[in-house]
Amino acid sequence: MYKYDAYDHALVRERIEEFRDQVARRLDGRLTEDQFKPLRLMNGVYLQLHAYMLRVAIPYGTLNGPQLRTLAHIARRYDRGYGHFTTRTNIQFNWPALVDVPDILDHLAKVEMHAIQTSGNCIRNVTADPFAGAAADEIEDSRPWAEIIRQWSTFHPEFTFLPRKFKIAVNGARDDRAGIRVHDIGLQIVKNEAGETGFEVWVGGGQGRTPRLAQKIRDFLEPRDLLSYLTAILRVYNQHGRRDNLYKARIKILVEALGAEEFGRQTEEEWAQIREGELELPAAEIARIRAFFDRPSVSKAQPVPVSGKPGFAGWLRRNRRAHQVEGLSSVVISLKPVGGTPGDITDDQLDIVADLAERYGFDEARATPDQNLVLPHVRNEDLETVWDALVAAGLATANAGLATDIVSCPGLDYCSLANARSIPIAQAISNLVEAEGLAEPVGDVTIKIDGCINACGHHHVAHIGVLGVDKRGEEFYQITLGGAFGNDASIGGIVGKGLAGEDVPGAIVRVLKTYLEIRDENERFIDTLRRVGADAFKESIYVAA
Amino acid sequence: MLQLERNPQSRKRVEAQMEAGGGAVVEIPGETDWREAAERARGAVQVDIRFASFKDGRGFSLAALLRERAGFAGKLRAVGDLIPDQAMHLKRVGFDDVAPDNDNLDDDWARARARFTHAYQPAQDKRTPVFRHRQAAPAGDDLAALNARYRGLDAMEILDDAIRNEWTGRIAMLSSFGAEAAVGLHMIAQIAPDTPVVFLDTGRLFAQTEQYQRALSEQLGLTNIRVLAPDSAEAAAEDGDDRLWQRNPDACCALRKVRPLARAIGDYDALITGRKRFHGGERLALPVVERIDGRIRVNPLAAWDAERVNAYFKRFDLPRHPLSDMGYASIGCWPCTAPVEDDGDVRSGRWRGRDKTECGIHVPAERIAAE
Repeated sequence: MYKYDAYDHALVRERIEEFRDQVARRLDGRLTEDQFKPLRLMNGVYLQLHAYMLRVAIPYGTLNGPQLRTLAHIARRYDRGYGHFTTRTNIQFNWPALVDVPDILDHLAKVEMHAIQTSGNCIRNVTADPFAGAAADEIEDSRPWAEIIRQWSTFHPEFTFLPRKFKIAVNGARDDRAGIRVHDIGLQIVKNEAGETGFEVWVGGGQGRTPRLAQKIRDFLEPRDLLSYLTAILRVYNQHGRRDNLYKARIKILVEALGAEEFGRQTEEEWAQIREGELELPAAEIARIRAFFDRPSVSKAQPVPVSGKPGFAGWLRRNRRAHQVEGLSSVVISLKPVGGTPGDITDDQLDIVADLAERYGFDEARATPDQNLVLPHVRNEDLETVWDALVAAGLATANAGLATDIVSCPGLDYCSLANARSIPIAQAISNLVEAEGLAEPVGDVTIKIDGCINACGHHHVAHIGVLGVDKRGEEFYQITLGGAFGNDASIGGIVGKGLAGEDVPGAIVRVLKTYLEIRDENERFIDTLRRVGADAFKESIYVAA
Repeated sequence: MLQLERNPQSRKRVEAQMEAGGGAVVEIPGETDWREAAERARGAVQVDIRFASFKDGRGFSLAALLRERAGFAGKLRAVGDLIPDQAMHLKRVGFDDVAPDNDNLDDDWARARARFTHAYQPAQDKRTPVFRHRQAAPAGDDLAALNARYRGLDAMEILDDAIRNEWTGRIAMLSSFGAEAAVGLHMIAQIAPDTPVVFLDTGRLFAQTEQYQRALSEQLGLTNIRVLAPDSAEAAAEDGDDRLWQRNPDACCALRKVRPLARAIGDYDALITGRKRFHGGERLALPVVERIDGRIRVNPLAAWDAERVNAYFKRFDLPRHPLSDMGYASIGCWPCTAPVEDDGDVRSGRWRGRDKTECGIHVPAERIAAE
């Protein structure tokens, strides 16, 4: 993975000094709260319902052992013994004291981590395929490009006070696991007819109040032009994105208002002026960054085990993913124990994942948009040992991609924006699905829950989405069906009127049962839904309500 | 009003033009389309871009495009609701100056301006982005690479890099507290006022220099002045009659400057000097970074001329050495310093009547020995 040099270290150190100074100036009144707020947000510090929350950046979801151990230490010493992985592959600590934040940042800096631009109206932490550099279906590793974008976007002088937040995702595999169509800019690595790699450029995707799928504005962008092209897009957006209405300020609204074609034209016009300039990436720098992301190799490839202790084969079937190197596998560490809080992990569990990554995983782990972790490179002969350790740590739930692998935002239990609780709904659904024994029979399905329309839990792109709303002081939940994240990205449609919280798990279980009744052989949930339409499920949602 | 010091050359031109009564100052709201802004800026010597709110970042792109696309070379000033934490952003997109609504925070602005040593991305200032540094300078102590890195940076950026990155904790400024010294001292006071400042008290200094040293250090907030004096036993042995300067000025310089500095220099890998090419003589070929006896000298002001020095004094309202007004353009020890005669070089008052032009602290030891 990427290794800091003196330049990177200096920038992060200077950023901490800056933040210390900002906190001091807020305390003595030289900064007003209105001025301090965007500054602390750009350092990942939120003021939540009960306390400050610190969101730590995990650039393109990549972690090593020392970093995981540092996160464990922060959870133990400054929080209440746990951290929470988010859908943008960051980690949040819910209970730090504001005065401790600079010290926490010091700990992070020692292991090449920070909280820079994890919030605020700036270019956010770049995300990528969590299986990058490992996946069997990879065209090219997306991480070097994500790192190049990370550096370019850090403290960008022109694009730090944008109309609204700005999220970029890079996907380098055939399967889109980064969600390029629901990002402000999505970059898909492709090969042209000459066999050279480049980027498809998608703009204007996003979730929240007005969910939109990104539109493609360029079929093939040469790698050396990446930064000039991104600059052109950001320039058009920074000048013309709406600033009169917070809810219409994202780039998706501008792209929709202009039309993707016109937005693309303006981008290309700007790009033509800056393409041959300072922003052109030197081949030597691309090569330098790429060299950090080498592919692990194995000397004597062993096959994937076919049997083992009870439970091991089932975990392999659900949580293992094929690797591009013979003899290696990737495994998903589910952070979704039945009835647990999606994405939560304890300090001790973080330490154990650190051990496993170091001993059996080429010192790498990844955070995923599904709020799970991944060990991307595990030797096949070590899989059972890893599984044993995960079982002992309560991290071996064999449910990756199943109905109990629920994504959920923090909701009203933590978040000051939320209208409704989401974690308890996720827990109740998980418990009921398990009690009914439905997870395995139903197979692949995504269920995602949000406590407000900002959609951090990605309910818009879930096969089954749950959105909490506040109706005259009471929590209600709308069910959406038919959303998808990835190559077949789509926005789910609201099925009908909202349900009371206690009715949600039953409704979802009935939807799953209906699917089992009406599916064709081997048909996945989403395919059945697309074949028969959402109305076929409507009755099952409301029958008992 | 707080200066961001981007392009002193163009500012000098603008100031001259404004003083002559020519050119206009135009104010343009940050939300203006850049093409329209470019029209309005045509012929103006100064453009003020108004920020209605510090959160509205359109003015950053507007400034960048006025510089980059419209080629506006006049003075660019940011005005309105701005906060010190934006100093670096403003400077990097091409602003020279800022006039924030809250103008009580000069110290905060100065600190914020010098906060970050490096920048990842190229912008409208001349700062070299990190990725180009990486390509250019694999070895941090390689002179050619260092000079290449510093080419195109302004003095402040060179000092920033030297003090906060390249030789962190191992660098000092060497200052005579002479006629031009306030420029470099003012710069390091903005970057890191605790940078060691080495001052050679030869025992033969003008009383005015000693006064100026104390007053200027206090005014600039310099907190780490290291005064180096000659060894008293050596002085008694070699210069018992206080006439060594007359009999053998080189020996006097060796006793009072070269050896005291040599004894202290082990504390530092690099010394910053205020030497400039326009001083003439051997200094005509002065590089920004050089190595003397295995130690680095950084000469951030090498390319500065007298006009630029004067403009800097004026811009920051820096106090002059009391002898400057009396015709002393370069100030050393009282026995060996005279005022400059009309049309004389800056340093023509030093060791007048002798062929000596340097005291020896900037010359390799072997050359002194050979001579």
